[in-house]
Amino acid sequence: MTTGTLDQIVARVGAMPPLPDTVFRLVNVVSDPESSLQQVVEVIRYDQVLTTEVLRVCNSAYFGLPRTVESIDGAVRLLGTVKIFQLAMSVHARAMLASPLEGYGLPAGALWIHSAGVAVGAQLLARPMQLTQLGLLFTAGLLHDVGKTVLSEFVSEAYTEVVRRVVEDHTSFCEAEQEILGFTHPEVGARLAESWNLPESIVNCIRYHHAPDEPAVPDPLVDAVHLADTISLLLGIGLGDDGLAYRADPAVMERHGLSETDLQTIGVDVIGELRAVQELFAKQ
Amino acid sequence: MTSKVVDIADLAVSAEPDTVLVTYSLGSCIGLTLWDPVTHAGGLLHYMLPESQLCPDKARNNPGMFCDTGVPKLFRAMYELGAVKNRLVVKVAGGSQLLDDNGTFNIGKRNYLALRKIFWKNGVMIDAESVGGSVSRTMRLNITTGEVVIRSRSQEVPL
Repeated sequence: MTTGTLDQIVARVGAMPPLPDTVFRLVNVVSDPESSLQQVVEVIRYDQVLTTEVLRVCNSAYFGLPRTVESIDGAVRLLGTVKIFQLAMSVHARAMLASPLEGYGLPAGALWIHSAGVAVGAQLLARPMQLTQLGLLFTAGLLHDVGKTVLSEFVSEAYTEVVRRVVEDHTSFCEAEQEILGFTHPEVGARLAESWNLPESIVNCIRYHHAPDEPAVPDPLVDAVHLADTISLLLGIGLGDDGLAYRADPAVMERHGLSETDLQTIGVDVIGELRAVQELFAKQ
Repeated sequence: MTSKVVDIADLAVSAEPDTVLVTYSLGSCIGLTLWDPVTHAGGLLHYMLPESQLCPDKARNNPGMFCDTGVPKLFRAMYELGAVKNRLVVKVAGGSQLLDDNGTFNIGKRNYLALRKIFWKNGVMIDAESVGGSVSRTMRLNITTGEVVIRSRSQEVPL
């Protein structure tokens, strides 16, 4: 079975659609603690697709506004930076994550909804974990599995063998990927994020989301994405054939003084927020 | 054949012929189907957590979210369609686990045990089940025939 080396696969990354300029600029604006609301407005107003979508969502029945919002300034004032950023990231990432991924047995839209679940969950964990980087957490959550979009083609060939290994050896999907393919979807995703020049904090979240004990010093952002992924996997949000064959690290809970009740409460809120997200994206 | 999708934290009943109730992507959640072979009425619940005391407000608006509120609601909805308790065919799927050796995240197991406890108290027997492991399951109930099919890892198996 030939699957190619990691370098060959990363070379494939060049053939992937580049990260839209707006997303790159928004991530940088949000990563900068000094950034202002006006900077967010400036980035969005030059992206026609995004402007149209932000206004459509703002004026949708979901918000039930008494009058029509006609400008991005108005929309940003109304929804707040965080909501606008979420919307912007979601509009663009959705295009990337919405295709079916045969290799992982993911039907169309499943990876998108799983990623949205992790994005929302990571953000909800910010409060109990006392983190302030809401935009970064959302983006890292949304992109944590982006490596699957690249690997899917390769995995579909070697896939039967990966699943067989998972079933017979009770091993995790990542361990089976490593053994059969020689690399894992978090590593491929991290390489992709590096090629997009995303901030290192996001690259680390992608690289270690299944291995939060690997960074030399524990990284609270990685921990949040790991727990958000754990919650989404447990709730069955957009699962593929890989199912729940991943390891969860209880040390993360101890590090942040979280109880299982905390996770359950976050899970309940994730489902509520996801319904709102799906409603926002429903065709009007 | 009409397909009616039951979302997570929700339930549905039907006595319409040529209808299939389906719920996708059961992880640690539990899918429960009831079917009455005389009235040909069926129901499907997809609950996510064992106990409503976690969020009583959410449970009021969304009884299907929890085992202790969703299960009674499903049975009542079935009785309203003329179903009789001791005729009901009861099938269960889900309750999967992550690979977690020390059981910190064993919500799937506790979801299943919560159901067993309610059934034991109320004298309800489970006719068939597909629970545990680390797989994601899709559960379908054919209202006309009562047939339940589980799809997992691209394979369909009757339950």
